Amino acid sequence: MRPRTAFRVGLVLLVAALAAYPAVGTGYGVRAMLQIFMWVALAASWNLISGLTGYVSFGHVAFFGAGAYTGAILITSAGWSWPAAALAGGLGACVVALVIGYPCLRLKGPYFAIAMLGLNEVLRALVSYFEGLTGGGNGISLPTLEATVPVYYAMGVAAAAVTLLAYLVITSRFGLRLMTIREDEVAAEAMGIDTARHKLYAFLLSAAGPGIVGALAARDQGYIEPISVFPLATTITMIVMVLFGGKGTVWGPVLGAVVLFVSQELVWARFPYLHQLLFGSIIVAVVLLMPRGVLGLLQQKYHLPRTI
Amino acid sequence: MTRPLLEIEGLSKSFGGVAAVDRVSLALEPGRIYGLIGPNGSGKTTLFHCVTGVERRDAGRVRFNGERIDGLEPHAIARRGIGRTFQIIRVFPELTALENLLVVTRGSLAGAEARARELLRFVKLDGLVHEYAGNLSYGQQRLVEFVRVLMRDPSLILLDEPAAGVNRTLLNDLLEAVRRLRDDGKTILLVEHDMKVVMGLCETVFVLDHGEKIAEGPPGVIQADERVIEAYFGR
Repeated sequence: MRPRTAFRVGLVLLVAALAAYPAVGTGYGVRAMLQIFMWVALAASWNLISGLTGYVSFGHVAFFGAGAYTGAILITSAGWSWPAAALAGGLGACVVALVIGYPCLRLKGPYFAIAMLGLNEVLRALVSYFEGLTGGGNGISLPTLEATVPVYYAMGVAAAAVTLLAYLVITSRFGLRLMTIREDEVAAEAMGIDTARHKLYAFLLSAAGPGIVGALAARDQGYIEPISVFPLATTITMIVMVLFGGKGTVWGPVLGAVVLFVSQELVWARFPYLHQLLFGSIIVAVVLLMPRGVLGLLQQKYHLPRTI
Repeated sequence: MTRPLLEIEGLSKSFGGVAAVDRVSLALEPGRIYGLIGPNGSGKTTLFHCVTGVERRDAGRVRFNGERIDGLEPHAIARRGIGRTFQIIRVFPELTALENLLVVTRGSLAGAEARARELLRFVKLDGLVHEYAGNLSYGQQRLVEFVRVLMRDPSLILLDEPAAGVNRTLLNDLLEAVRRLRDDGKTILLVEHDMKVVMGLCETVFVLDHGEKIAEGPPGVIQADERVIEAYFGR
C-alpha cells in the first residue's frame, strides 16, 4: 500500500500547488496551465469513448464547438453568467451527442470515424449558415471581462472532474463492459451486454467535458468564429495525446496532454514551423514503437491496473 | 412429452443464394444433452448464430420457453437465458481472466467475484485469474469462455466445439461439468467434431448436411444411419 499512499499524498500536494499557482505565477504561466487543463479535459473525454470502446471519434472537436457556441450565445443573447453558460455548453454538447450518436454508433470501425469527421463539418457549416443566432462567419464577440484566474480554476475543476469520471468508469463494471465492445462486440452481445446502449452512454459522457471547456474557452478568448472552434487539428491533438499517454488508462491522457502541450510550447517558441513536424513524428513514433502508449506499455509489461 | 425449452421451426438462412440452413426444425427438452453434427459447412454454426441472434434468419420461428425470440437483439436473447461459446474463441483478450467473467454479471459484484473465482478454480485457472485472457493458451481461453457462459446461469447452453484444443485431462473434467449442468436441469446443445465426445455425452444427436437436418436420434442409431454415413464418407 506504500506506493499508493505516496501517490495520493503527491496528488493532494499537486492539487494544492495548482490551486495556489495563480497567486504566484506569471501571466504566461497561468495561461499555459489553463490550456493544459483544457487539453487534459479534452483528451480524457476522448479516451472515454475511443480509448474504452474502440470507436474512434474523428470529430470530437464538434462537441467543443457546440459547447463554445451554446455558451457564447447564452452569455451574449440571454445574459447568462459564464459558469452557468459553461454547464449549459456541456449539456448542449450532450444533446448533439445524443442526436448524432444514436444513428452513428451503429456504424463500425472506419465508418464511424468518417461519420464523426462529417459531423464536425456539418456543425461548422450550420453555425456559419444561421447568422441570426451565431453571427455566421463574423463570429460572436463576448462582452469584455477579465476572468483569466476564475476561468483557470473552472478549467482546473473541469480537468479534475473528467479525470475523476474516467477513474470511476475505468474501475467499474460499466467500464469493463465498454472495453468488451472494443475487444469483441459480437461476444459482448452474446453475453447479454446491450452494446448499443453502452456505446451511447459512453458517447454522452465523452461529449460533456468538451462542451464545458468549449464554453470556458469561448469566455476566455472573448471571441469565437466557426473556424476557431471546429478545427480538425484539435481532434487530432486529443487523439495524439491519448495515444501517447496510453488509451484506456486513467492517467495516460493526462500525461499525454502535459507532455505534448509542454513540448509543443517549447518547440513553438523557438521554431514556429518545426512543431508540426515534431507532432507528426510523435504520431509515427508512437504508432510504430508503442501502440499502447507510455502507460499502456508499462501496464501490460508490469501487470499494472488501468488506474495508472 | 414435456414442453420443449427451445423450439426451432422451419429455420432458413442463406448467404448469397447458398442455403446455409435449410428449413431446419428441432426441439430441445429441458435437462438433456443434445449433439449437433455434420460435415464442414453443413450449417451447424450458422444455426447457432440464428438462434442467438448473431445472424438474422431469413425464415422460420424460434421459440424459447414458449416465447418467440427470432428477431430479437443478441443481448436480449442472451438475457432470456441462452448462453453460448464460439467456434473461434472470443474471449476479451485485454481483460483478465477474472474480468472476463465479472463483466457479464449483474447485481452484487462481491457475489459475482466469489462465483468467478470458484469457476476459475474448477477449470484449474486459479493461478491465472489476473492474467490477460489474450496471454492464455488456446485451451485455457476455451475454458475461460466456457465458464464465462456459466456466470450468467443460462438455462440453455450452446457449445461450439468445446473440446477443440483442450487437453485430455481437462477435457474429462469439462465433460463431467457438462453432465453436472444437465443434472442441475440445464439443457446443452453442442457442436463437436470429436465423435467420442458426442457419442459418450449426448442423449440425442441431430445431423445436418448441406443445411438440412438429415437425421435425429440416439447416438447408436445415428451411427448406423445410412444417410449419415453417406454424408460423412460419400456413397
